[in-house]
Amino acid sequence: MRFYARRIAFYVVTLWATISLNFLLPRLLPGDPADILLAKMQRAGGEINETTVRNIKTLLGGDSSSMWDQYVAYWGRMLQGDLGISITKYPAPVTDLIAAALPWTVILVGLATVISFVLGVGIGAWVGWRRGTWVDHLVPFTTVLQSIPYFWLALVLVAIFSVALGWFPIFGGYDVWEFPEGPEWSWAFIGSAVYHGFLPALTIVLSSVGGWLLGMRNMMVSTVSEDYIVTAEAKGLKPARILRTYATRNAAIPSIAGFGISLGFVVAGSIVMEQVFTYPGIGKLMIQSVQNSDYALMQGVFLVITIAVLAANFIMDIVYGFIDPRARHNV
Amino acid sequence: MIRNAKRRAALIAIAGAAILGLGLSGCASGGDDSGDSEGRTLRVWAGSQTPIEANFNPFSPSVLHAALGPIYEPLFFYNKTADDAPAPMLGESFEYNADGTVITVTLKDGVKWSDGEDFTAADAAFTFNYEPNHRDGLISAEAPDDTTLVLTYEAPQFTNEFQILGTTWMLPEHIWSEVDDYTTYTDEEPVGTGPYVVDKVTDASYTVVANENFRDEGVPAIKKVQYIGIDANQSAQDLLTAGELDWTGMFVPNPDSVTSNGVISMLNTPQDPTVLYTCANAELGCTGPQTDVAVRQALNVAIDRGTIKEKAFVGLTGDISPTFALLPRDQKWVADPANEVSPQSPDAAAAARILEAAGYTKGGDGFYAKDGTPIELSLISVDGWTDYNDAAKLISEQAAEAGIKVNASTVQWQEFSDARQTGQYQLIMGGVIGTSVADPFQIYKDWFAGESTSQVGEEVPSGRWNFSRYDNPIVNEAVAAAAATNDEAVKQKAYAALQTEIVRDLPYIPLVINATQTFFNTKDFTGWPTEDDLYAFPPAWGSVAAGYVLQHLEPVK
Repeated sequence: MRFYARRIAFYVVTLWATISLNFLLPRLLPGDPADILLAKMQRAGGEINETTVRNIKTLLGGDSSSMWDQYVAYWGRMLQGDLGISITKYPAPVTDLIAAALPWTVILVGLATVISFVLGVGIGAWVGWRRGTWVDHLVPFTTVLQSIPYFWLALVLVAIFSVALGWFPIFGGYDVWEFPEGPEWSWAFIGSAVYHGFLPALTIVLSSVGGWLLGMRNMMVSTVSEDYIVTAEAKGLKPARILRTYATRNAAIPSIAGFGISLGFVVAGSIVMEQVFTYPGIGKLMIQSVQNSDYALMQGVFLVITIAVLAANFIMDIVYGFIDPRARHNV
Repeated sequence: MIRNAKRRAALIAIAGAAILGLGLSGCASGGDDSGDSEGRTLRVWAGSQTPIEANFNPFSPSVLHAALGPIYEPLFFYNKTADDAPAPMLGESFEYNADGTVITVTLKDGVKWSDGEDFTAADAAFTFNYEPNHRDGLISAEAPDDTTLVLTYEAPQFTNEFQILGTTWMLPEHIWSEVDDYTTYTDEEPVGTGPYVVDKVTDASYTVVANENFRDEGVPAIKKVQYIGIDANQSAQDLLTAGELDWTGMFVPNPDSVTSNGVISMLNTPQDPTVLYTCANAELGCTGPQTDVAVRQALNVAIDRGTIKEKAFVGLTGDISPTFALLPRDQKWVADPANEVSPQSPDAAAAARILEAAGYTKGGDGFYAKDGTPIELSLISVDGWTDYNDAAKLISEQAAEAGIKVNASTVQWQEFSDARQTGQYQLIMGGVIGTSVADPFQIYKDWFAGESTSQVGEEVPSGRWNFSRYDNPIVNEAVAAAAATNDEAVKQKAYAALQTEIVRDLPYIPLVINATQTFFNTKDFTGWPTEDDLYAFPPAWGSVAAGYVLQHLEPVK
């Protein structure tokens, strides 16, 4: 029991520290949101007259109360589930923006992560089993895909499959021409969303499958030389059975731990993918908030990501405590 | 076990097929909705980043573009691309009293708000008295009858005419008098006098439809306009090429790739100057070699504007005049024909003469120095503004040829914004806001006048842009003189004196006029502004102008 109490206490302290940092960090950044907005409007060539400037200063003028008062107010609001008002999308509440973006990110990046994990571990197990044959060439091939800059891969795929061949859409989470009314519960809409999500998901899978594959293959190679595998072979078990129930199961344990953590990061979305495809997810909110010194939105997004990562870690900790007694005693 | 695995594999295959099928059906239905061009929706790049939030409050910084022009309208339309008289929108005509402190506007008769109520002078008077519109020096805004508006000010308003009559959005009193706090109001169902009303807003796009109560019969001819949120310029360019987008205003370095499909045409209307800001005034605290006017003059003649235009701005920019008058629009305001265009090719010898006359000598390393201190300038530009970054690099090379050392580097936006606000910089690659009427006055007042600046370390006054800290009594006097008159001859004389000063002192070293590219679908829609008939500033984001252009569009039959 002490193990769990200590783990929980540890996570509570971590949560407090990250939320406090979350409060502090944006305030250490230089720049005043009003100035940045004005500079941006000027760059875009918009009309900026005295009225505009005065209104923007009124709206976005800095909070002049002391840091401590702001900190207390920040906790007070947060405990009520109020994450504040976004400046970039003034006056939309941050919670609304996040709530609208989260499902897109979780479904698309989540599915892509699962697919990439399943493919990587599956192929990795096979490649490790058949080590030394031609299938080993898969390893450098997938690692090359992973080392290509992600945005470049995405742009190349868009140029080929969307622009040149016209097989896939160029941008968006669904067909905005077809559904000007926004998302709805219909098969046509879900089909449109799946169709629009395919290319973004493909780019994520292509760029991340190599890591899983390499890790799994190497674990597989070392597992296959273990004594119990030799014993199994000596017993005369079918190779397929040894591959599945003896080797793969044991070799996959580290990958599963890694998978738990990367699920936590799913919530952070994929900033570049969302930017390239104008995909309505969290990553884009994050980049917009940073570019515009939008503290409330920045904090809201970071908070959601922090909690998701901590929760994933916590669950992995607990699960590990169950499946591996050594983990409990060593802490 | 094996049988189990087979069943699992079969299930996965079925699921995969289902997803694929869904994908294909999405594909089939996602294609074309342009059966007949008669009722075709005009698809515009909203210019806002997704997610789109319904906000049509014209006072909000995050207001959606459709609010400004298509929905809310000012009294008159000012065409910033030409030296035209203002065109009537809600106002019919206006006149000043002799000293310019009273403006009497005659409004159009029979105009209705989109909810069917009458638009009257009382609404206009309410608008000018409304808090966020209330200008310093407004004594009263009154409506003696339904079509007359009288605005009375403390000081002459000749030079503020555009802001008063051309950018003040008319508000319906019966709605806005109920608004508690204009700063948080999102105005999701705006009532305006413009040609469109809001139909539907989603995260990804919003749609406006024709206003049935619009004052002109048969206008707008385009019944439905959809504004799409697109974050990446590349996506917008791809959509234009694919014929899925009809109107944008964006920078495309190789416009031929977009226009070669025979659907989309491009119009380039350079409007805003790009310059080197120099922190020029040592008296207000500027430091560095650029505070010496000789260094600025030498740099000015050392720069190869032709190369910068071709290489950094892919040949799309316009030639700049050191008087900051936009040519040919502002031709009548250029006092000395010699100042029409800044030199386009570099003259290292002239730069050397200027520096040597000012007491600089060339060192062994090929760079000029005075009293043992070499000229070394730092030039910053915002990281990621690639055209500016490239131009800065070119300037650094060109200056080196003339013996002036310029170190170009890039900085984050915040740093750039801080540096120019507080004057702690030497050179910045930056933009100047062009004027919206055929008169450079606004630039002279906001960027060159002493009242528009402050000590280094303090921010320049809100709404003013004199980042170079320039403060010259002759210029200040000329600005004051021009503000007090509507007499063209008097103004020309004031500008002549002012131009002599700024062309010599170069607090901003002029480089080019920034390109403004607009892409529009000329196959399915007609009535767009053209090179020969530039009746309005064409980009989709042009405030007021976008609504004005929409009134002129018609589907191709």
